[in-house]
Amino acid sequence: MKTPLYYLRIYLSIVTQYIKAKLQYRTDFFISTIGMIFTNIAGIFPVWIIFHNIPSLHGLSFNEMLFIYCFSLLALSPLQLFFDNIWSIWSHLLSGTFIKYYLKPMNVMFYYMSEVFDLKGLSQVAIGIGGLIYASNQLDVQWTLLNIVLLIVSLIGASLIMISLMILAASTGFWIMDPWNVISLVNRFRDFAKYPVSIFNDFFKFIFTFIIPIGCIAFYPSQLFLNPLQDNEMIVFFSPLIGIVLFIIANAVWNKGINSYSGTGS
Amino acid sequence: MAMIRLENLSKHYKVLNRSEGLSGALKDLFSRDYRIVKAVSDLSLEVNAGEIVGFVGPNGAGKSTTIKMMTGVLKPTSGLLTVNGRIPTKNRAQNMQEIGVVFGQRTQLWWDLPVIESFKILRQIYRVDQSSYNENMNIFEELIDLKALYSTPVRYLSLGQRMLCDIVASFLHNPKVIFLDEPTIGLDISIKSRIREVIKTLNEHKQTTIILTTHDLSDIEALCKRIVIIDKGTTVYDGSIQKVSSMFGAHRTLKIQLPPAEYLALDQLATSVNGHFSQASAITMEQSEEGWIHFTINQDEVHLMDVLNYIGHHYPVHDIKIEEISIDKIVKNIYEGGLA
Repeated sequence: MKTPLYYLRIYLSIVTQYIKAKLQYRTDFFISTIGMIFTNIAGIFPVWIIFHNIPSLHGLSFNEMLFIYCFSLLALSPLQLFFDNIWSIWSHLLSGTFIKYYLKPMNVMFYYMSEVFDLKGLSQVAIGIGGLIYASNQLDVQWTLLNIVLLIVSLIGASLIMISLMILAASTGFWIMDPWNVISLVNRFRDFAKYPVSIFNDFFKFIFTFIIPIGCIAFYPSQLFLNPLQDNEMIVFFSPLIGIVLFIIANAVWNKGINSYSGTGS
Repeated sequence: MAMIRLENLSKHYKVLNRSEGLSGALKDLFSRDYRIVKAVSDLSLEVNAGEIVGFVGPNGAGKSTTIKMMTGVLKPTSGLLTVNGRIPTKNRAQNMQEIGVVFGQRTQLWWDLPVIESFKILRQIYRVDQSSYNENMNIFEELIDLKALYSTPVRYLSLGQRMLCDIVASFLHNPKVIFLDEPTIGLDISIKSRIREVIKTLNEHKQTTIILTTHDLSDIEALCKRIVIIDKGTTVYDGSIQKVSSMFGAHRTLKIQLPPAEYLALDQLATSVNGHFSQASAITMEQSEEGWIHFTINQDEVHLMDVLNYIGHHYPVHDIKIEEISIDKIVKNIYEGGLA
């Protein structure tokens, strides 16, 4: 049995080398980082415009919206950083190069995902942390030790939700060969993660809570910090658990997929 | 001891019967009209430790499927399969620890990283201890002058250099069995012979069992004592390469092209060659496209030059080619009783 430490060591050596190699293309690095920063800032912009005209939306202030938005940026960062190779899986499946990932004494998903570390995602982490600090200062969120632990736990749980959904989308490729459209569709869900589920009608509220638990990525866990004294719905505490359960399911589907995928002819 | 054992191994695929045209494509969306394709059927094979076995067959013969089953990528439909005493698909990761695989044109090194970093990462993945790592790297260094390539990213290597690196890398963790799938494909003669040398030396030094697939019979002649020829998913010949070489080693294919004006003369040419050379069984003929005609000639009985001279004397030859006999031709000959 291989320990997490074994995988961590391998990951670190691959990623260090990968970063070294990537930094050789400096222009590419700077342009994509700047692009990423703009994308993330542009995401806040519509919210800012809305709040410029109205003081609150469904009982939420601009700073609360900012908090949720930045929480979602952080929760989506691990997907961006460590699982970006999901976007290339169609070409590996179609050309048959995917079978190379079966040929090492390692977990196939680990081996596959370890090949890409998306450097520009680090700017997303930076913006998320900066925005979260700003918003919580404005909102007087108390960062006690308990709250920090709670934040880390809920971020891990939340990040697993979108990771699992994307892995499920990618896994469809083992049967349908080209999962690009499914992946793009599921990727759209992340746009909804940054909005408070409470602004949707009951139908979408139900969907985004129980069917595709996008609300558990940022909105519900944020309530832990935004409304610590209120009676929150139970879902607020459950969202980290949902992430873990989803990941177990996604991993099982992926494993079933790699067993049924047979690669192309030669 | 049998390192690899296949007993009545089969792999069947379910394939949708496609209908024609757009309406057919729409119909196929809901069709349940499958047929079974037998990629491998009832294949039995035993390979001993330390052997190099050439595994050949025409395209679509089931070579890749068999290799994929032996490496644990594909699960057999039925039959027994053990490699190094294990069932490859069971506990895949553990199995991979003891085998090595090189797939022709697809590198398993890290594309963007310098060569030496790939070796260091492989060392971690396979948990190779420092002293065996150093020992192996020294052997590789002697064989392929690895140090000169250390700092070059894999993607800057030539195809031949990359192949050499891939092959030695597959020996790094001292596996018991190595599968080399088309290691010389697309390479020129000089690098091919280096690759053969490297494989031969490493096999002798480490007593690794090697399964080699190739389209190039000279690879097999240079490396293997034993050749397994498969076609349509099952063995058609399993035995010494010498027998195949002595049977077909003297065979050459002479390809002749006549100018378009002479296309009509093709049949006539065939009959006239047949009539001129009395040992008719030594020459087989086949017409190909664009006025090409292929003569497979057994030189033990008829000299190729005589045939060429005769044709050149009577017909306005446009172009010629001379080739060694291909695997496909050998398989065809075996069916016709060539090795019986």
